[in-house]
Amino acid sequence: MSEDRDSRGGGGRSGGGKGAGAGAAGKDGARRGFFRRRRVCKFCVEKIDYINYKDVKLIASFIPERGKIQPRRISGVCALHQRALQTAIKRARQIALVPYVTE
Amino acid sequence: MSTNRQYELIYITPPESTEEALAELHTQVATVVEKFGGTIEKTENWGRRRLAYEIGKHREGVYVLEVINGPGALTAELDRRLRVFDIVIRHMCVRVDDELAVAERSLARRKGAQAKRRVRRGLPPEPTETERKRREDDDDDSDGGMERGFGERGDR
Repeated sequence: MSEDRDSRGGGGRSGGGKGAGAGAAGKDGARRGFFRRRRVCKFCVEKIDYINYKDVKLIASFIPERGKIQPRRISGVCALHQRALQTAIKRARQIALVPYVTE
Repeated sequence: MSTNRQYELIYITPPESTEEALAELHTQVATVVEKFGGTIEKTENWGRRRLAYEIGKHREGVYVLEVINGPGALTAELDRRLRVFDIVIRHMCVRVDDELAVAERSLARRKGAQAKRRVRRGLPPEPTETERKRREDDDDDSDGGMERGFGERGDR
């Protein structure tokens, strides 16, 4: 069973990985129902300068079910904005707009 | 003058708290702010909201946001006062002026760069109405998955 998976992995996308841009991600996005990775920073693309802690809708998209802050290797947010996002999330947690943890 | 700063104060009261109690609280805040020579720029009542987690026995709360201009010593006093009130179940005061200034600067920088680029290409500095509309249509690449709230994403 594990062998099967290995052969599939080695076949089509050996050169893919991180170097491939958003276009390649779109092409094999459907593979095995994985969460499609977005390699661009949402805040840079949409030109959001100030990540407001009161904007629950925006912030919630970076908080997975468990309630932890999504790492930037998953979300693709740039370092600058990840730092700003972190403060925003922590502030929002303090006033119970987003959860600290969810069971 | 370095003492003029902007703060955002948010406090949460229980959902069953009355209008009078909220008004009373607001005047209390206002007197503290006045004593320090500050001003309240605006007050926003968000109304009843579900809390993301339980605070004490509360699952819901009334959120009130106050934007305050004034010196830094004001926050310590506000903090002390608000902690005394039973009616306030949670409060937070954050300084926002420096962050907003940074945001404004980067917006201005981007605007300037864009204008320069456009002038170089022989276009008017500001995008026209039709151009902007076309851009918005092109930009619609949202994949939906990121925009949903928590608890709705089952595929993880």
